Amino acid sequence: MSETSEQLVNLTINSKPINAPGSLSVIQALWHAGYPRVKSVGCLEGVCGSCRVMVRRADSHELKMELGCQLLVEEGMEVIFLVFPNPTHHTYQLEDIKNSWEVQDQFHQIFPEADHCRHCGGCDKSCPKGIEIERGVDLASKGRFGEAGELFVECVMCNFCMTACPELIAPNHVGLFSRRVTAYFHIRPSNLINRLEMLRKGDLQITQ
Amino acid sequence: MTNGIPFSDALGNYTPQRFREPSNDPTKTRDLLEQFHPDYMPDSMTTLKVGPNQGDVCHKQLADVLQSDARIEEADLAGANTVETDILVVGGGGAGCAAALTAARKGAKVILATKLRLGDSNTVMAEGGIQSSVEKGDTPQMHYDDTVKGGHHYVDKPLAAQMVMDGPDVIRWLIQQGMQFDVDKYGDLLTRRAGGTSAPRVVYYRDYTGLEMMRVLREALTNAGIEVWDYNPTVELLSNDQGHCAGAVVSSLKNCSYTLVKAKAVILATGGIGRMHLNGFPTSNHFGATGDGLVMAYRMGAKLRDLDSFQYHPSGLAYPQHLAGTLITEGVRSAGAYLLNGHGDRFVDELGPRDHVAAAILRECEEGRGVQANETTSGVWLDTPGVELRNPGILKSRFPKLLQLGRKCGTDPAQEPLLIYPTLHYQNGGVVIDGNGCSTVRGLYCIGEVCGGIHGKNRLMGNSLLDIISFGRRAGEHAATEVLGRPHSNVSTEHLSELRRQLTLADMPMENQGPMLFPDYAKFETDSDYDGLHKAK
Repeated sequence: MSETSEQLVNLTINSKPINAPGSLSVIQALWHAGYPRVKSVGCLEGVCGSCRVMVRRADSHELKMELGCQLLVEEGMEVIFLVFPNPTHHTYQLEDIKNSWEVQDQFHQIFPEADHCRHCGGCDKSCPKGIEIERGVDLASKGRFGEAGELFVECVMCNFCMTACPELIAPNHVGLFSRRVTAYFHIRPSNLINRLEMLRKGDLQITQ
Repeated sequence: MTNGIPFSDALGNYTPQRFREPSNDPTKTRDLLEQFHPDYMPDSMTTLKVGPNQGDVCHKQLADVLQSDARIEEADLAGANTVETDILVVGGGGAGCAAALTAARKGAKVILATKLRLGDSNTVMAEGGIQSSVEKGDTPQMHYDDTVKGGHHYVDKPLAAQMVMDGPDVIRWLIQQGMQFDVDKYGDLLTRRAGGTSAPRVVYYRDYTGLEMMRVLREALTNAGIEVWDYNPTVELLSNDQGHCAGAVVSSLKNCSYTLVKAKAVILATGGIGRMHLNGFPTSNHFGATGDGLVMAYRMGAKLRDLDSFQYHPSGLAYPQHLAGTLITEGVRSAGAYLLNGHGDRFVDELGPRDHVAAAILRECEEGRGVQANETTSGVWLDTPGVELRNPGILKSRFPKLLQLGRKCGTDPAQEPLLIYPTLHYQNGGVVIDGNGCSTVRGLYCIGEVCGGIHGKNRLMGNSLLDIISFGRRAGEHAATEVLGRPHSNVSTEHLSELRRQLTLADMPMENQGPMLFPDYAKFETDSDYDGLHKAK
């Protein structure tokens, strides 16, 4: 960190030329330049996955996927806001999985494409959080849901990986499924269960 | 304020230390608040002139929207589509999702309309955790006592008592939706201590508790077949002949049209007011937190309370500018992080109540002991390297979001302290409700931050995630039972005519329209097709 410099930088956002202080995020720069932006704005803290942008920096040909609220403007940067994709076609209810022996079988019925991974690396490359998505999908299809879910701790469901996947695997939903079945079938804290039992018996009351 | 210690000097003087002398500052909370807390800033409050809370003290900025003119005229609705549902839930955060899920599972037809996308809310940003007394040395009574004391005894006691008793079952329900919590090697829930409490009681998932909760609830809700209308802000409620709530006017940001939703019950879960930036403060709140629900409920005649009480979270990031206001969880202080002024001294009990700690930080900055980053930005250190020194590896294992934030700031919180300053965080007051979330207007339920009373005049960490699920489930269940067999009624905007009459009688300006929907810097009003990138005139 250093003292703020208010030097202006030039960049384009959705091909509009923008001139803004280097201390602003892409979204703040748009507002600063007098362009309204309401859609694709969410938590402004990098956890809601709403402000999906594609960015190319001046010194590189590479396209990167980022979150607009977390991305500082830079000289010569080109930024494009992406619309949010349609929801995934995968659907399931945890209550329909009768017990934990059936999870793997159910998983392959719910996410039949997960086995078709081409290992193209598109998902990994598109993830603004640096999650090892491809490995997570692989672990899930092998039934190792606990491990798979652990890889998706930082997933904000921005759906970049869903957009990137040519096999329509919806890798982020695979990750979330893995996490949810782990909680649903395996988190049984004895301190919580004890407390529920005491409450059920009426042992704990409140004096107001 | 430019009288602080220059940033580079203060950073140069800083070294992480295992131990620093605690502060022995004897200042009483009451005195500190009166001198430094923003709620006590002179001229920030006014008296409401119209509506159910006429005569009550209210923050000026909030009063302006509560007493604003409606956005719609009768004529706007002439060509509008009408849709019928049992229950309309307004708001797509944790409270709205819990209510919608519960009501739908009870068999009610539910539409959930949300201003942005499902899950775009303050819930997703919550970090520290949820309070629920599960540890041996803790009881619901202690949880209740802490909540009442933390709220400076302005708490609606039956609501608080019901909520703390719900605590453990809320955690069970969340696990059943597929939410993970951090557990020890035996599988027991881990707990951390919240500021101003008597026992470790906050259960959590890393510093991503809200994110974990929200992505799970969103997935559960979309898979339950509940109709979700995203980018559909609700702009007004509808009344029936008896003045009960009978639906709402929803406006689509996609095609710029209004829809009349006839509902047998409306559940408002619209959240708080952070993006009003009261007193010019930065905020930790979501982009959509503009108090819309308060305004709509007030116009329908719902009674509000504690409109002069707001929470400024002690640890908002002060610098760099593009991230200013971003929340750093109280969990970091709970793990032992000190707060240090520009001299490197501790100046407050870091785990005191939030209003006390925030006021102490403002005092340090005002009295020249803060760290000055630039002309307009000052703050104090959050001593994260000290925590890492005492518990190597803790930042990585417990606070991944903090490390992500550090990367975005270009600094490593394990090596360098972060500059923090209080950030507008929570609306303590709001709509008066009963134990089922019913407001004083029949057919209108309110849940979550839009409500008042549960937290008095100061909320404890972790009590909000608890309140949204506790009251969300109760409201969803109650509404689903109530609407069974009830017919739809005729809807009108008659209450708006009454509003305009009252505003005119009170000689109030009619230029402002509410609800706000978006902060002014988003330039929504000039965004003709709502899709952005049309330069404002």
